[in-house]
Amino acid sequence: MNGCRLMWQVISLGVLLASARASELDMTTLGRPPTTSWPTFNGDYSGERFSSLQQINDSNVASLQLQWSYRITEVGAQRGAPVPVIKSTPLLVNGTLYFTIPNNVYAVDARTGTKLWTYSWADQGGHLVGNRGLGMYKSWLYFLGPDDWVICVDSNTGKERWRKQIADARLQYFTTTAPLVIKNHVLVGVGGDAMDVRGFLVSLDPDEGEMQWKWWSTPGAGEAGIETWPSVDAALHGGGGTWQPGTYDPELNLIYWGTGNTNPVFAGQGRKGANLYTTSIVALDPDSGKLVWHFQVSPHDTHDWDNTEMPVLIDANIDGKPRKLLAQAARNGWFVVLDRTNGKALISTPYVKLNWAKGVDKRGQPIPDPAKEPKLAGSVTITSATNWMSPSYSPATGLFYVNAAEGFAIYYLLDTDPKPSGYGGTVSGLGTSTRILRALDIKTGKPRWQHEYPNLNGAPANVGPGLLSTAGNLVFTGDDQGNLLAFSADQGKVLWHFRAGAAQSNGPVTYMQDGRQWVVLAAGDTLYAYTLAPAALAAAHIRVDREGP
Amino acid sequence: MREFLGLGPAPDAAAAKRGAPIYAANCAFCHGPLARGAEGPSLIYSELVLEDQHGSVIAQFLQAGRPEKGMPAFATLSEEQRRDIAEFLRQQIEDVANRGTFQVKNIVLGDPNKGERYVAGHCLGCHSLAGDLRGLGHKWRPIDLQRYWIMPPRMGAGRAITATVRAPQGTWQGRVQQIDDFRIELAQDSGERVVIERDARVAVELHDPLAAHVEMIGKLADSDMINVTAYLERLE
Repeated sequence: MNGCRLMWQVISLGVLLASARASELDMTTLGRPPTTSWPTFNGDYSGERFSSLQQINDSNVASLQLQWSYRITEVGAQRGAPVPVIKSTPLLVNGTLYFTIPNNVYAVDARTGTKLWTYSWADQGGHLVGNRGLGMYKSWLYFLGPDDWVICVDSNTGKERWRKQIADARLQYFTTTAPLVIKNHVLVGVGGDAMDVRGFLVSLDPDEGEMQWKWWSTPGAGEAGIETWPSVDAALHGGGGTWQPGTYDPELNLIYWGTGNTNPVFAGQGRKGANLYTTSIVALDPDSGKLVWHFQVSPHDTHDWDNTEMPVLIDANIDGKPRKLLAQAARNGWFVVLDRTNGKALISTPYVKLNWAKGVDKRGQPIPDPAKEPKLAGSVTITSATNWMSPSYSPATGLFYVNAAEGFAIYYLLDTDPKPSGYGGTVSGLGTSTRILRALDIKTGKPRWQHEYPNLNGAPANVGPGLLSTAGNLVFTGDDQGNLLAFSADQGKVLWHFRAGAAQSNGPVTYMQDGRQWVVLAAGDTLYAYTLAPAALAAAHIRVDREGP
Repeated sequence: MREFLGLGPAPDAAAAKRGAPIYAANCAFCHGPLARGAEGPSLIYSELVLEDQHGSVIAQFLQAGRPEKGMPAFATLSEEQRRDIAEFLRQQIEDVANRGTFQVKNIVLGDPNKGERYVAGHCLGCHSLAGDLRGLGHKWRPIDLQRYWIMPPRMGAGRAITATVRAPQGTWQGRVQQIDDFRIELAQDSGERVVIERDARVAVELHDPLAAHVEMIGKLADSDMINVTAYLERLE
């Protein structure tokens, strides 16, 4: 017994010595409101991407000053992708920013923008469409190669510790997500819809990468939900990627994940039914991977409407009662506010103009109009109303911010086989779509304000601006034309802009460092870091002092 | 597109073509005409087929079969024939997975008479059959005809969005080259370009000559779209 205790002391001393030498993430910061760090994809577990910081605020944001920028110059064109675009949300831990592009990880000094180390991966397939960032556990980072490899890298050195392959890239599974660390779980999702794979989410052990559990997005034989498929075979090839991180409620011990489009993508004739649990929001037990509830935002999807948009966790009073809510602005143009304890809908309504729904069912799930499914001669309906770009929710305004896109396209069915495969159809655009920042009141689902970005070229399909809101009454984002922007959160007035070299392309982050509030945004191949200009900074300190107790 | 999708080596199309009748005669009964499964499993998702490189796995596999699972041997087929079957299977995967090669089928399925009535009722206020609509069916493939009659490409000065910009310094008119919340660039009739920084004192009035088309997109019934395309496609 005594011997045991002695050994524990020796081990703890060893850990202390190690942490004195090397930087390590304080695991207790995970899930806390992000102020001096940004240790997860969303900053905390809620997905709100709201910061309580207000040194930078609506009265002084116009004086933001660029402190440094970091441009990726050594990578060049990647397979099928001309210029690297930073779509990842950086992590900020102990003064270092960690971010990614496909096949590359960067560690940069957050004070100066100086490169500390890089890590490169040589892929054997997979799509290089983007990489959304990293997960972190103690001093270890988790990064995904596009070809379904999970790679654990030492955050101090950039040296690889281990690698595990979680899916087969030859089946067109590919991986772009930021792993999410919850307790001792590293949660990793997959994408890929060219060959009718079955989506899944895995939980890996942070130390060695051993699999703890695997949740399949579609049911197998005899499992609940199989009645929404015509056959087990259809369900086992039914898609449902998990290619964005989810959110987590520690009190309920539930994770919330959005699932991707159904397969075959545009040809639904071989999979009549709702096709659970694709294009849904699912609540899972993070320790077992067991499904607790689901809400299908896009039943029987035939339009590639991945429902992987962030399920944002919101605590708010509704009719005078505190409620645990979940809000999502989905790719199919639908906005839902659910009770996250049970998945019951409070709000279920479109947030863009759309023509594919016949109303909602008794659970509040939209009912798709079969007449609007892709057809041989074409069918006109909306383009994606949003995608993976981060939304934000501000508890200060009660508004959910989403960069929406309004536009139409013709959807064609190509594969008329009773057993279609793969995409099975295609999309032909009709003019350009319009990007509109909408600030939705979570109590009504209606916009309190909106800002239509003037733009002749419309909203591009593969890149889009993310959102961050702050207690300084600000919303940070961009406009698809190279302007980085700050709006007033309550009224949508443009208060600041900066001409960057490319369109804003990731989820902006903010944090305090050395007494200054920093805002970091990516545009194309460059990361930009701002603080207030010295005079405004001095004034902000005075203001804070006056407001103090 | 192949490269972006990470599809690996492309199948040999000639060998796949040779393999098609051999597959149809020997394999389609169990695995379906396009190898998507029937009595036997789909071969589109098969590990063995994905592993195969120009017959490296499948040729040998077919020689022995898998009798314990009801898959007979095809030892009477020549090595080359078995390799051609493998290539045919790789081609089926290619046809599914490589959306860069997808071909739209015949989309001209509507009723041209109904299309004619729609055009008469909705389009001839601005357009004329003897003028700008003449020969439209010969100008574009049906897939482009359909999207372009609904929303014409903004080619030529006549379809450009124009603006009137009123600022304290003066008023400008021209075709909009670029616009965001902070600046607008105009090409003026004189040929000169002007960039105007936007602030609260600058009023921008946009005019879109295709506004009626933009308006129509959200209201157009699929049946009208299909019928009009069938009609326009016939226009000499």
